[in-house]
Amino acid sequence: MTRWAVEGVSSHVERFALGPVDLALEPGRAVAVLGSSGAGKTTLLRTLAGFQRAIAGRILKDGADVTDRPPEKRQLGYVPQGLGLFPHRTVERNVSYPLEIRGRTDARARARELLERFGLTPLAARYPARLSGGEAERVALARALAAEPELILWDEPWQALDVEARFELGRVFAEIRDDERVPVVVVTHDPELAFSVADSFLVLKGGRTVFQGRPTELLARPIDPFSARFVGYENVYDPAALATGGPGSLAAWLAARAGPGGVVFARPVLPALGPSTGRWEGVVRSAHPTPEGVSVVASVDRLSVALRIPPPLPEVLPPVGSRVRFDVEDMNVHPLGAIDVPVAGIGR
Amino acid sequence: MSPGGASPPRRRRWRGGSPWIVLQLVLAGSLILLFALPIYALFTYAPPAEIWDAFNDPAVRAAIWLTMLASGIAVLASVLFAIPLGYLLARHSFRGRSVVEAFVAIPVVVPHLLVGLGLFLLLIPGSPLYRFTTAIGVPVYDTIWGVVLVMVFVSAPYTVLASDLSFRAVDERTVEAARSLGAGPANAFLTVSFPIALRGIVAGLLLTWARAVSEIGGILILAYYVLPAGPYTGPPTSTVSILVYDLFQLGDLQYAAAVSSLFLLIAFALFLAVRVGERSGWLPWRRGDLEP
Repeated sequence: MTRWAVEGVSSHVERFALGPVDLALEPGRAVAVLGSSGAGKTTLLRTLAGFQRAIAGRILKDGADVTDRPPEKRQLGYVPQGLGLFPHRTVERNVSYPLEIRGRTDARARARELLERFGLTPLAARYPARLSGGEAERVALARALAAEPELILWDEPWQALDVEARFELGRVFAEIRDDERVPVVVVTHDPELAFSVADSFLVLKGGRTVFQGRPTELLARPIDPFSARFVGYENVYDPAALATGGPGSLAAWLAARAGPGGVVFARPVLPALGPSTGRWEGVVRSAHPTPEGVSVVASVDRLSVALRIPPPLPEVLPPVGSRVRFDVEDMNVHPLGAIDVPVAGIGR
Repeated sequence: MSPGGASPPRRRRWRGGSPWIVLQLVLAGSLILLFALPIYALFTYAPPAEIWDAFNDPAVRAAIWLTMLASGIAVLASVLFAIPLGYLLARHSFRGRSVVEAFVAIPVVVPHLLVGLGLFLLLIPGSPLYRFTTAIGVPVYDTIWGVVLVMVFVSAPYTVLASDLSFRAVDERTVEAARSLGAGPANAFLTVSFPIALRGIVAGLLLTWARAVSEIGGILILAYYVLPAGPYTGPPTSTVSILVYDLFQLGDLQYAAAVSSLFLLIAFALFLAVRVGERSGWLPWRRGDLEP
């Protein structure tokens, strides 16, 4: 079982600067690297993999400095964006590749075991061009595991997968994390994946770490509009949006509670039956049923506010154009800090 | 394509697309005709018996052997020198890149008689290069080496360009995946970049070969007659292109057509063999993209 530590690592791609980033990677633990496009997620992963030079800081593997080791000497399971499957090799020979490279005589046998484990045996003789998205993901994962990695790096695993394939991959992912006892770093845009597999989050913005900690901490105290939306808040307002309201309006009330980055609050609840009551009044713009109740969007002056009616589902949804009243609990309102990050350029 | 017999929906569709499709068919068909008709003329002008005679004629056989041998060596030279140059152009940006690209284009754009003249002047008896080539035992005047030299000059660019494009088309992420899975840079090249690019490179090598066997201009000047030397140990002869040119000059049109037809058959068989080999998966480089 290998422990990895990232200490103050910085890197740069053309004019984009990443870091310094600190990370502790424990066996069996997964870190989700989050951030909007150009935040430096892929750059971080490529720096950990050794494709991008670290200009400062150290990467330690069980205490040994591997910062300047080439990728092939790091014992990685790296799944790049787009997977990087070998188009000229069958599924089986994709999976046996890392073993063949090491001159292992049991390459074929070991590859077959992995194919079996990932339910890929019927596809062994296929070429990657003929795989579905979910199948290709599993092949890439099986191939990464064939390398007997001491660190798994995974870039955007769920991109372009359908619902079923996502579910299956999430299951496989959790199994690997638990069985292989290998640290996993996963870059993702997908809150569902991040929450279901990651033990901790690292949020990057403009190449800098803006949050590092447990998912629940980010949920309880979202730090900026990106992370607020990422963890599932819909009522996210920047200072400009709040400046539109007159005295006594919801916007003004929120502005009084906002931080320099704006304000966020959880969906207020509407009653399933009878007339709604509360301080604020809005006009229903849309209403649709979900497993968690009815999701309602109403406009209040110029603000659009997401509300919800908890289950059981009512027989009749609130009609568009009708008026609803609601309250915003003070305790549910979180100010967003201005994280003053100089955006150095367009990153990857 | 009888509009009267078509069912109504099909007829509607046909009407909608017809001028466009007809235009495409006419334009494409004209070019195919231009390609096919001269071949037809050759084969109809030379009766099969005459082609058979050509096949059994030792002089023709010597010319075909020389042409095959020289073009084969030219293709090997392309493998050795043109593929690395293509890789260099595809994977590295360096100063003077466009100058190198311009040099690669020279053989394609310069009339080949000029190529022959240039090589002739470069290797003129008494020149340092003449002394050097003679000293190391590869004299070029009127030997197979002269033929090879011209062939490489005019045909290698096709492999350089095909390799450049093919290596460019290799997804860098497959190479990175290989590196992360334990392959060093050279190993990743041999197991990933090269096999993936090979499909396109082979197409370039086929073009190189085709261009090499069809060369005449430069060879006219450097090695009109080829005497035995190096790998060619047969009787004095010429390449097929020059042999046909000679027959044409002498007025023996029927035999010129017969030799041409014979060589066409051989070249066509070779192309077909490669294509069938690829399709059947016996030749490995297109396996991934030909799977049904």
